[in-house]
Amino acid sequence: MIAVRTALAVAMTLVGAIVLVRVAALGLRAESFPGLVLGAAMVALGVHRLALIARVRRGATRQ
Amino acid sequence: MPATSKPQLRRAVTPWGSFSWGYSDVGADIFVGLGLVLAAAAGASNVAFLFAGIVYVCIGLAYTELAATYPVAGGGQYFVMRGLGDIFGFMAGWAVLLDFTIDITLFAWTCVDYSSQLLPVLTGSAHPWVHFFVTLTLIVGLIALNVVGVRESTAFNGVVSALDVVSETSILCFGFLFAFRPQLLVHNMQMHWPTPYQLMLGTSLAIISFVGLESISQAAQETQRPASTIPRTSIALILTILIFALSYSNLALGLQPWHPLIVNGHAVQFWEIFPNNGDNQGKAVALLASQIPYFGVIAALYVPVLGAVLLLISSNSGVFGSSRIAYAMSTSNLLPSIFQRVHPSFRTPVISIVTFGGIAMFELAFAAFPSLYPGAMGVYGRLFRGESGLGFLADLYAFGAATSYSFVFLALIALRLFDPLSPRKFKIPLNVPLRIRGERAEFPVVGVIGFIGIVSILIFTLFTHPIGRIAGPTWLVVGIITYFIYRRHRALPLLGSQTHDWRKRQVDILRNAGELELMDEYIANLKASDQRRAASTRGT
Repeated sequence: MIAVRTALAVAMTLVGAIVLVRVAALGLRAESFPGLVLGAAMVALGVHRLALIARVRRGATRQ
Repeated sequence: MPATSKPQLRRAVTPWGSFSWGYSDVGADIFVGLGLVLAAAAGASNVAFLFAGIVYVCIGLAYTELAATYPVAGGGQYFVMRGLGDIFGFMAGWAVLLDFTIDITLFAWTCVDYSSQLLPVLTGSAHPWVHFFVTLTLIVGLIALNVVGVRESTAFNGVVSALDVVSETSILCFGFLFAFRPQLLVHNMQMHWPTPYQLMLGTSLAIISFVGLESISQAAQETQRPASTIPRTSIALILTILIFALSYSNLALGLQPWHPLIVNGHAVQFWEIFPNNGDNQGKAVALLASQIPYFGVIAALYVPVLGAVLLLISSNSGVFGSSRIAYAMSTSNLLPSIFQRVHPSFRTPVISIVTFGGIAMFELAFAAFPSLYPGAMGVYGRLFRGESGLGFLADLYAFGAATSYSFVFLALIALRLFDPLSPRKFKIPLNVPLRIRGERAEFPVVGVIGFIGIVSILIFTLFTHPIGRIAGPTWLVVGIITYFIYRRHRALPLLGSQTHDWRKRQVDILRNAGELELMDEYIANLKASDQRRAASTRGT
């Protein structure tokens, strides 16, 4: 289960970064805003999930 | 005579169970909302989802704080009754009941729409009677299952939710990697920006992609250590749903279809297959998944099935949730005691299930009527600007959600000010400290932002939905009249509230939740507060 969750979190982070870079490449304009928000939110969620998984694994190793 | 204690709900829901319970309810909404919003808001669909999404995050945070502080099954109705009084508690609960009855019909309807992707005989426009009877059969079947006491198990919900999260993430990954053209997104936003009216319509429909947070509080009473579990799982739920909704809307606008899409002999872009096509609006995610290169071959087969299962679970949660809310309102003397009556053999609230299931069937008949009798289309066109059946159900769904959420924000603010002694393990950020009646309290700024957002969506709904404008307020007025008749009959205050011992109730709630540290903290807070008051009285 943890492997699937890690894979999903990594996928979310990478896809978010790709969206962010591709939309930002069009330049800063009003129409880019929703895409930038989406890319940033995907990266944030992916990193947040990875941090949670890392914390759980660290806790399990200590025990 | 020995004292008998009321049976309590078993606390067996784990953190994943709590997440999947909410996900199976809210996660299905995007399957319904996407097509409707693309049809209404066109090139600004992603902006409509972004605005509704910001409001949804505020609502989610409010529910998280309230459900973790007051982990009881009444949900929004309980918070509002406690914060604002009986009449407002009734109105919030009655609006939630409207949403649950619509939930039954809307999700059964779209379950059939998704199935029609693989079984064309179920297509609504081509075979309206088949579509109607299959939807009706699903609703009757769910009512029967709930009467005999079968409901979705947490384990089954968990499996479907996990499959759906993996599936939706795969659709988004493949979609953004192989089919997404940012230039197309910008082009569509520039060339197909809707009128302000259409944007308001789209925004009010976008909120239906985020309805179902009630399930967070519904699950609270059955969750182990809810004060710690609820914040963790509901924040994950809020972020997941938000990102899926934002992703789908951006992907749909920037999607380069794998195969050419032809409408009226012209090649069109993906989002253009939704306006004026109720069949497509009801199965948008399946259509989007099928247009992703390579992955679409598999997705076209399994996404309709997965979507239909998720939507059926959500429809079932409407049957189950409406009976439970009616039961909770009845025990609080907000609805007649008949809704507490349980079946002698099955031990289920049969009257509630049959009553609200019956209302759902009536809503289905009203929504399907113009397609079953084309002669009635003229009447619907004149009175309701020709809204489709799916549009009618979405109208009422948006109205019920916006009304109940508005009350929940007010309750959040009121409880922060007038019940500062209840320990809050999770508190929404951005607060202004102040003193009320000698007690330290914190004013939630996010509550005000969320309230303004949801009230604006309520205004958009009333302004842009011809049927919702009539049927929504009518539902509330009928409910209030029933409430007054019942309260008068029971000699209870009509506009005021009964006497509630909230202190004792809160201690019981925390004890039953197993949150003994919080219970001790609450009792200590009460003692300290009483001592301060006694000291200040002696001083004066």
